[in-house]
Amino acid sequence: MPELRLRFEDLFVGYEIPGRATVILRQQIKIYADASGDQNPLHQDDDFARAVGFPSIIAHGMLTMGELAECLTDWLGDLAALLRLKVQFRAPVFVDDWIVAEGRVKSLDPKARTAVLDVWVSVERDGTTEYPIRKGEAVVGFADP
Amino acid sequence: MNVALEGKVYPDTTFTVEPERVKLFRAAIGEQREIVPPTFATAAEFAVLPLIVGDPELGLDFTRVVHAEQEYEWRRPFRMGEALTVRSRIASIRQKAGNGFLTIHTELLDPEGELVVLARATMIERGA
Repeated sequence: MPELRLRFEDLFVGYEIPGRATVILRQQIKIYADASGDQNPLHQDDDFARAVGFPSIIAHGMLTMGELAECLTDWLGDLAALLRLKVQFRAPVFVDDWIVAEGRVKSLDPKARTAVLDVWVSVERDGTTEYPIRKGEAVVGFADP
Repeated sequence: MNVALEGKVYPDTTFTVEPERVKLFRAAIGEQREIVPPTFATAAEFAVLPLIVGDPELGLDFTRVVHAEQEYEWRRPFRMGEALTVRSRIASIRQKAGNGFLTIHTELLDPEGELVVLARATMIERGA
């Protein structure tokens, strides 16, 4: 078997990283609240969520960002590191939504051995695609060869 | 929202990268490996964020607040068990089209004073 290791040299502008699909469960949102310390009732209490204009509780934006970071670190393994990640939260994620995290290389710096990626998270709901995270940007850095 | 609070620095807090907390965080985001996920930084940030968002001097209406933007810069991976200093300040407060924009910068520093993570969070207080 040839060795399948991610190398900086194999990247090119337009390179698409493997996407990561996850279903967001109610129980998972509760675990995330306890793990992160973000106990905002918007993510736990349906009555509160309705009172502020949502049909039910929504997932923490940071949980969606965490899933996006997982997509990146899964891809990188221990051969490169996530150096920066910037996102805007643009649409809510509801209980039982399937979210898909994806990314594409935007530019490369061979001297610094870093790559800048466009990253985003989408969700398909009733035939339309929404973007809980769109126009995100990640910077990843590779160790010396 | 009280715009005069721009620049306010909040007291340092200590946050420990506890194995049990990391395990719970990994379960929440579906990380299978025995690592500290980079976004565990959020847990350190939340050692202080509720104090800022709930600061009576700031006068934020919590029911109208949404998290709009988040950015992390990692200088190195977390080390299991390490104690970090969490230092937050209000970097900016802006009013635009009836909405308030609050940006909080948080530094996570190791005992040597070296920066481990820089976090920037922007909250929007929607117009009433």
